[in-house]
Amino acid sequence: MRRAISDTKAFPWLLLLPALALVFAVVIYPTLSGIDLSFRQMRLNRMDLGQGYVGLRHYIALWDDPIFWIAAQNTLLWVVGTVILELAFGMIIAVALDYELPGFRFMSVVILLPWFLPLVVAGNLWALMLDSRLGIINAALQGLGVIEGYKAWFADPNWALPAAIMVETWHGFPFFGLLLLAGLKGIPTELYEAAAVDGARFWHRFIHIQLPGLRIIIVATVVLRAISLMNSPELLLILTGGGPGRSTQVLSLYAFHKAYREFNFGYAGALSVVMFVILMTCSWLYVRYSNALKAD
Amino acid sequence: MTELKRRTLLGTLAAASLGLPDAEATSAGKVVYWHHFTSQEEFAGLKRVMELFATKYPAIALQQENIPNPEYMAKFTAAVVANTRPDVSMVAAERLPDMLAMNGLVDLTSRVNAWSNKTNYPDDRWKGSSANGKIYGIPAFTFVDWTYYRKDWFEEAGISGPPKTLDDFVTIAKKLTDPSKNRYGFGLRGGPGGAAYLIDLMEAFGSKFVVDGKNAMDKAKVLAAVKWYSDLAVVHKVTPPSAANDGFRQIMEGFKTGQTAMTWHHTGSLTEIVRFFKPGQFGTAAKPAGPAARVARLAYLFNGIMKADNIDAAWDWISFWGETDPSIAFLEETGYFPASTVIAKDARITGNPLYQAAAETIGFGTLPPAFVGMAGWSQNVVLPEFQKILVGQSTAEKATDAMLKGLDAALN
Repeated sequence: MRRAISDTKAFPWLLLLPALALVFAVVIYPTLSGIDLSFRQMRLNRMDLGQGYVGLRHYIALWDDPIFWIAAQNTLLWVVGTVILELAFGMIIAVALDYELPGFRFMSVVILLPWFLPLVVAGNLWALMLDSRLGIINAALQGLGVIEGYKAWFADPNWALPAAIMVETWHGFPFFGLLLLAGLKGIPTELYEAAAVDGARFWHRFIHIQLPGLRIIIVATVVLRAISLMNSPELLLILTGGGPGRSTQVLSLYAFHKAYREFNFGYAGALSVVMFVILMTCSWLYVRYSNALKAD
Repeated sequence: MTELKRRTLLGTLAAASLGLPDAEATSAGKVVYWHHFTSQEEFAGLKRVMELFATKYPAIALQQENIPNPEYMAKFTAAVVANTRPDVSMVAAERLPDMLAMNGLVDLTSRVNAWSNKTNYPDDRWKGSSANGKIYGIPAFTFVDWTYYRKDWFEEAGISGPPKTLDDFVTIAKKLTDPSKNRYGFGLRGGPGGAAYLIDLMEAFGSKFVVDGKNAMDKAKVLAAVKWYSDLAVVHKVTPPSAANDGFRQIMEGFKTGQTAMTWHHTGSLTEIVRFFKPGQFGTAAKPAGPAARVARLAYLFNGIMKADNIDAAWDWISFWGETDPSIAFLEETGYFPASTVIAKDARITGNPLYQAAAETIGFGTLPPAFVGMAGWSQNVVLPEFQKILVGQSTAEKATDAMLKGLDAALN
């Protein structure tokens, strides 16, 4: 008697095959291809040099490349600074909205608006608002007596990166706000009631109930946002192009410049692999030491 | 039978006389056109050219796709690598070597040589779209670099006219600078697109760039150019404090809002400036001469064909830009000069005094330098190194060394 195919040991694998093929096609193959590229000579405007393997040449060149180190340092400031600010603002908003005061639903939508805006629009909007000729921010700060005259924020190497971080924070904090609010809604009300009986005030509720309850969400959102920030040069491309000088040059922007201005895809590939390794390592360390995966 | 042919002939003639599609317009199919037009004026000009094209070639479905200029080469590269090419692409002369190096354009030499309008373009018009004796595009229009200046401010300050030399330029810029009034002599473009002006100055001070594939830059001359240009901001302080990040939009707003007395751009921004100022409030002038040469760029923008699938229709589109009606329509909307010398003699151009500076510049202007690696060197090395001087992170000497070293790296 013939066995039905569903009775064979291979059947589960057959069911998984389409999903595995998809994962291979859209995740594994491009990743391996990118890594392979980093070991090749691949300058699209110098095809006379060939496309052969060059071993670790690009990685050695990276080590000796001063711009790489500047970009790495700026990337650290860019990612860490932005994530901290977005998390802080997102937390404030989430906790405030969790009280469900009148107008809570309307405010929830309003606060999400920056996140809905495409980065290109947000970037150009803020470039105009911070403009040293027409910018409303300069006018406001001067009116308040904070600055004496209009300031060219993106032309000052000391201010260009902080100004860009502020713009990115404005754009990204609703991401944290929304997910943290969802997390807060999942905390059992009994815990708040018990805390109230014990006389806990706002701060105690936040430290002992809300923060522990949000731990996994905080870890997940921080990792996701850090990955997104590290890989996305769009905003800096619009606001500063990496300048003035190299003061806002970050790794993703540097890889973009290498790939699409110099057409040096091999070198850009090596930069991408380094970013990939940094992200994997940092994410793993962060998840491990934040005890996010540990059962309570 | 004879009667039918006669009717057909008469019908065709009648249709032609009514401006209906002529007998030559036989191409059909879809043409996808990539361009990097940005402004409202450019889009209005493109719309008019497309309308005229649709009238002449009703069987060709033209689809225009706008690619932001900073991302143009990224999209172009991806299209070549993934073989998702459009039919026609806009081609800036300085990008041609890189585009050809990745086999991104179709050789059009035989078609151009057989084209009846070819003689309307002097030989130098073809340089920017030619390499190794082959032609890869048809000039669509010309950007002529020039100076915009505030005529009213010049008159107030008793300055007789726009600067003829770089020395005059500094003197006038200093005279017109008054930071207490937020007024500066010159709107320096130190942000995106700013490298081109410094490269022009290097040539104006006598330096070459690449000869026979080798770095031919003269360090002393490059240093003099870098120093002269950066001194405007660092020493003479005749530029707005935002200069290190100012791109096209910022220098235009600086000029329009009364922050700057002079700025360098090309004829393409004239329509915007004319709309903003009262007549006589501003003027146009040819760029000042440097110690070794008077350098201003004539940048022809070309249209090239990226794939041969529907080459007849694609050819009809790119050659259409060389005809009088679309060229004048585009000029009327944008202020962009036609590349054809025959069309440039149109009364609507020669009768406009604002265009005299452009006509003068066409006499001495040259094409920008073009070599493989030019885009990467100018944007990834020249501009950031120059910005570093503007913000006090470097000196002209250090920046010059980095620019020379960067060119070596680009060529090797």
